[in-house]
Amino acid sequence: MHWMAYASFAIVLWGVNGLFMKLGTNRVSARSMVIWVTAGFLVLLPFLLKVTTLGGLSAGMIFVGLIAGTVNGLGNWAVFACLEKGAKASVAIPLTALYPLCTVVLATAFLKERPTTLQWVGIALAVAGGAMLSYEPATVVTSPEEQAQCVR
Amino acid sequence: MQTDRSSFPVWLWYALLCIFWWGLWGFLSKIGSGAASPLQMQILFTLGMLPVAVGMLLQMRWKLDRNRGGVAYGILSGVATGLGTLGYYAALREQNASVVTPVTGLFPVLTVVLAFVVLRERLNKVQLGGMLLALASIVVLSI
Repeated sequence: MHWMAYASFAIVLWGVNGLFMKLGTNRVSARSMVIWVTAGFLVLLPFLLKVTTLGGLSAGMIFVGLIAGTVNGLGNWAVFACLEKGAKASVAIPLTALYPLCTVVLATAFLKERPTTLQWVGIALAVAGGAMLSYEPATVVTSPEEQAQCVR
Repeated sequence: MQTDRSSFPVWLWYALLCIFWWGLWGFLSKIGSGAASPLQMQILFTLGMLPVAVGMLLQMRWKLDRNRGGVAYGILSGVATGLGTLGYYAALREQNASVVTPVTGLFPVLTVVLAFVVLRERLNKVQLGGMLLALASIVVLSI
């Protein structure tokens, strides 16, 4: 099959997933969503284990993979909490998709990788895009007491 | 969206926290990808998520929300993410990462369109501009 077919498959599932995340957090807490999403990942585990095993991996590499999964789970909790606190899916999903920016920063700091000119452009675009996505015109939330005073 | 007099809403803190955790995930994946196959990494990611789920369950004192819709969307979210990742890995077998990753990085466009249609969410002009810049940055950083 053509690579674009597989890529489109990923785009559709990840794109629809953004909607599932918002619809889910509208109904259950962020913490509960973490648990149900993990259950969703576990559904796929038997199929993955049929195709491959963890044989041949060093203990260190298994540890790195497990820690990566743990921080991924913490990221899931944070994005669900973000949606739970009222963020629009159309803001939260593009905003959190900027995480490669953080990866580039960490790789620069710890792997001594130097960002290329193109990556610097990407970093600048991400910072500007993130700031603009986060922009909400200030609105005044009035308490019921304040609203009653206005009526009076 | 919940807004108040504060210029830095709570949801934004969580979004930044998410960027940090997922950024760290990307960093660790980069370290691991040299020795482990993508499918092996996917297995390890799934197992690594379990302590977080158990931690959440303990914090909630085992009082898990069981709203049917919420449960269904939660499980679908996990399956969709996992299957999408497998599709991404399959594309990587046929094409270079420098081509595949920027293309798949455009997935937020679909979320924004669906949120517009299904959730009736509307972005202001600044946010729309921000989304375009964010998409451009995702593509550039993925190359």
